[in-house]
Amino acid sequence: MARTTSSDAQALFHSLRSAYTSTPTSLKIIDLYVCFAVFTAIIQVVYMAVVGSFPFNSFLSGVLSCVGTAVLAVCLRIQVNKENKEFKDLAPERAFADFVLCNLVLHLVIMNFLG
Amino acid sequence: MSPPHRVNPQPLSLSPRQPKHPATTKMARSNFSVLTILSVILLLPVLSLSFSPDSPSDRRLLVLFDDLSLKSSHSIFFNSLKSRGFDLDFKLADDPKLALQRYGQYLYDGLILFSPSIERFGGALDLAAVLDFVDSGHDLIIAADSSASDLIKSVATECGVDFDEDPSALVIDHRSYAVVGTEGDHTLIAADDFIESDVLLGENKIEAPVLFKGIAHSLNAANNLVLKVLSASPAAYSANPSSKLSSPPSLTGSSISLVSVVQARNNARIMITGSLDLFSNRFFRSSVQKAGSPKKYDKSGNEQFVAELSKWVFHERGHLKAVNLRHNKAGETNEPAMYRIKDDLDFSVEIYEWSGKSWEPYVANDVQVQFYMMSPYVLKTLSNDKKGLYHTSFKVPDVYGVFQFKVEYNRLGYTSLLLSKQIPVRPFKHNEYERFITAAFPYYGASFTMMAGFFIFSFVYLYHK
Repeated sequence: MARTTSSDAQALFHSLRSAYTSTPTSLKIIDLYVCFAVFTAIIQVVYMAVVGSFPFNSFLSGVLSCVGTAVLAVCLRIQVNKENKEFKDLAPERAFADFVLCNLVLHLVIMNFLG
Repeated sequence: MSPPHRVNPQPLSLSPRQPKHPATTKMARSNFSVLTILSVILLLPVLSLSFSPDSPSDRRLLVLFDDLSLKSSHSIFFNSLKSRGFDLDFKLADDPKLALQRYGQYLYDGLILFSPSIERFGGALDLAAVLDFVDSGHDLIIAADSSASDLIKSVATECGVDFDEDPSALVIDHRSYAVVGTEGDHTLIAADDFIESDVLLGENKIEAPVLFKGIAHSLNAANNLVLKVLSASPAAYSANPSSKLSSPPSLTGSSISLVSVVQARNNARIMITGSLDLFSNRFFRSSVQKAGSPKKYDKSGNEQFVAELSKWVFHERGHLKAVNLRHNKAGETNEPAMYRIKDDLDFSVEIYEWSGKSWEPYVANDVQVQFYMMSPYVLKTLSNDKKGLYHTSFKVPDVYGVFQFKVEYNRLGYTSLLLSKQIPVRPFKHNEYERFITAAFPYYGASFTMMAGFFIFSFVYLYHK
């Protein structure tokens, strides 16, 4: 069994990072957006744990808005990724239009559920 | 008393007599109609005196005797009733014209059966008629003695007490008998084991023992409306005093009731005793000394006991009414058609007690109201202002549905109060919920941030090169 050391972990992160630099900018923007959404969701969960779940519908809509956004963004990322051969027949413009439509529906639902 | 079901009530109203000869038919008919009108006119003032919710005391009593000598031998009791404003109608129990009602109207408010040996009432009166009389809310006093007939015993049985089966048995007590000149057989009993109830026996304590000479009865265990007012001492038993006791007596000790009362569910009141002499002038006036007690009373407790208990039986005491049941939202005066959950409401009801002449405020600290839907969601004790107004306020529970305000007040000796008023309770309306809650601001912020983020992301994603 191979011994793992901290230098191994460092080497792993280094190779990941160097591989990520070759990722297209559009995908990096999507990744940043997903991180932002997940971070906001975590903040709300922590807040709920501290303050209590009283306006529970507001909490749900706040968190689900973030989670939904993140999920939709990940879907967009899968579809516009050039290296993913599964969606090679799908135009990136079509994928983005789908993403916008889904976001509109999501936020409509969120606004109804928020108050 | 659980009102027994009778299948064939006897027709009690007197039907107009048919003329016997056809030739006289027409004349008789016109005579009859004149008589009817006259009798209606004559009856009107009598009807206006009858039992009514505004004055629940009885007014007209029918007293039935075996023989009319009782009228003089029990005159003190009758005179005290007359002086309290009762109209007494004395009749022999086998009078062929006997009737309790005429044309569907009861002629009397109360019935006193001082006819223990009667085997069969005269006229239209029978067991079913007596029980119908009670079932329609009228009052009854039954006094039996050693000559009690099956008829009287069966009336008592229907009312929830069982007289001793043995026709020769009397209540015997070798410890708390009344001391008389001769030794005797100890069937004249000086009883002082009264029920503790001011409403039944009046506020003044009955000091002297009550003289009793008669037959024993026991309460039917299945009937929870019947009460022992005067019970025998633990040493009493029911047996034939002139024969030697061969087997243990069936009724012994304080399970023997000397005087019992029943308040039926319709608030009809019944008093049952195995001693007709209890009401007699002789017992009212005689002095009494209980065996083993040095104290000798000049006058027995009978007069006070009978007077007080008859006041209760004829609704001169212990009759409650509840009026003006009101409820409204706190701070308002009008009664709403429905409440919303979590509303604050005020509830009030007025309770009065009939004093024999007027309605007096009833003061008690144990009247409760229930806010009831299948089970009580709220149970509150009402506070009163000593003027009969009972009041409380509470918050409607967080449950919607059709509720009832319920006041169920059952106290020993008092008529039972059962009030209920239905009221629906609705949930919050759509626009009655809280808006823009401060605690939810981070959630609102997050949602709008996500929307703004969506626009910025779209812009950056589309134009990033």
